[in-house]
Amino acid sequence: MDRNIKLKDDLLRELEETRRQLYEAKETIEAIRTGQVDALVVQKGSTHQLYTLKTADHTYRIFIEKMTEGALTLSQQGIILYANSSFGNMIGMPLSSIIGLPFEQFISKDNLAFYKTLFKTSWAGDCKGEVEIFYNGNRTPVQLSLTVLELDEGIALSIIITDLTLQKNTQRKLEENNRQLEHLNHTLENSNHDLQQFASVASHDLQEPLRKIQMFSNILKNKASGNLSNEEIAYLEKIIASTERMKALIIDILNYSRLSAVDGEYLPTDLNFVLKELVEDFELMIADKKGKIIFHDLPVLEVNRGQIRQVFQNLISNSLKFSKDSVPPVIEISAKLLSEKSIVSGEDENGDYCLLTIEDNGIGFDEKYATTVFSLFQRLHPKDSFEGTGIGLAITKKIIEKHHGLIQVKSTPGIGTKFMIVLPLKQQ
Amino acid sequence: MAGTQNIPKKVLLAEDDPDDIGFFFHYLGDRSDLHLLPPVENGEEVVEYLQKAHNGAFPDLIILDQNMPKCNGLQTLAIIKNNAQFENIPVFVYSTYTDAYLVKQSLQLGARSVLEKPVSVEGYHKMIDNILELI
Repeated sequence: MDRNIKLKDDLLRELEETRRQLYEAKETIEAIRTGQVDALVVQKGSTHQLYTLKTADHTYRIFIEKMTEGALTLSQQGIILYANSSFGNMIGMPLSSIIGLPFEQFISKDNLAFYKTLFKTSWAGDCKGEVEIFYNGNRTPVQLSLTVLELDEGIALSIIITDLTLQKNTQRKLEENNRQLEHLNHTLENSNHDLQQFASVASHDLQEPLRKIQMFSNILKNKASGNLSNEEIAYLEKIIASTERMKALIIDILNYSRLSAVDGEYLPTDLNFVLKELVEDFELMIADKKGKIIFHDLPVLEVNRGQIRQVFQNLISNSLKFSKDSVPPVIEISAKLLSEKSIVSGEDENGDYCLLTIEDNGIGFDEKYATTVFSLFQRLHPKDSFEGTGIGLAITKKIIEKHHGLIQVKSTPGIGTKFMIVLPLKQQ
Repeated sequence: MAGTQNIPKKVLLAEDDPDDIGFFFHYLGDRSDLHLLPPVENGEEVVEYLQKAHNGAFPDLIILDQNMPKCNGLQTLAIIKNNAQFENIPVFVYSTYTDAYLVKQSLQLGARSVLEKPVSVEGYHKMIDNILELI
């Protein structure tokens, strides 16, 4: 019982003290409002803080007027009590005509129900929502941030209005671009797939009738050659040679189409070994032409060994094929490290790229063909003067591109041809 | 040794293309070291043939065309190699076009070798000589 009385006394004292503090605070606010006081010193811990009208209200007023967002104060009935100039600009109306109007007048019809719910819930706590401001035929997508303000005159609602036009446009554009990209990707995937399918089926299925032509031509040649004139035998031999050429074409085009289908394994490969093997493969042809292949100090590169071997094989076989009749072919292969991925990049011992140069003293070709030689089925010479399908350099270029490299050629008729290949030391 | 060599090897060819059957029998029919069994047209018929054959009457080797209807070369190869009765019969796969995939798959499934269909008489003899060396 005793304890209860004491508790009651304590509470009463506390109440009295709070009441006094409240009275003091009210007095101070009143003094500020009526201009009797323009500064307050408030003790905060061990220091004193100076609050003046200038640092508080005035600063915020400027801040609110200058910000790009619209700012409103609404009465409990939803009437605009205050609007900053950004809001005025947003709807293109002078501030004087805005004050006193119900804010919902500026909300588009479709969003009115939503705004009313937003308005209702905001009195219980901060809330946000996206609506469309509609005025004078202009629609502006905005975000509303609603917060209840407790003013001396009673409670009011503050609304910050963020213009979302730019954001929405950007978003729409982004979505549109994404959709287009997805569509393109899909189309590309499909056509890639079709292409693979086509190359594979066509190549396999083309070979069966082709082999029959070969077989029956051979049979005819063997069985009937006694009854045929030399001219007729020559025709048959032309058929056989054509089928062989077509088979070579089909196999090459099949290999070319495979290149895009399979992602090879990239392993550190010593190009000196690759070249050594190739020189052995070409031994007969080199000896036949009394030629020479010179290479030394080639680097170790992260490559698909089979594919890079194919690159050198194609280039060397071209050089041997297009050598001059009167001069033994000399093919020189050299390498240096570059600072960047460019044919004209400066040399850099610690560079991440490697320039490989394959130079010959062959018949060369006109510089105007320097880009077209890499196209599929591009040939610069009549079929009967030099063998070949015209796919070799296209395959070479594709392999280099798959290795994230570059290839270029320089050539002078009668002097020789120089291929330049830039490859990264390591594949990412 | 000499005795077994003189007995002609029984060869079962699974091939659906009449021209290819013709080439095969035309070029290899005369060889005294071969006994060409009547050809079958697809993998199902190979299995049927083997099931009907009495023990010891199995072919000495089977040549499967890859591109056959119903049951292709690789599928037939898998059936043969998964049957305890037939698994020891040497099987060869041949096709107009042999790519790395066909070679790898065939060898993995237990084929002795993979061969490209020849384009000449000499080619046929060479192919069968290679096969005989491998059995």
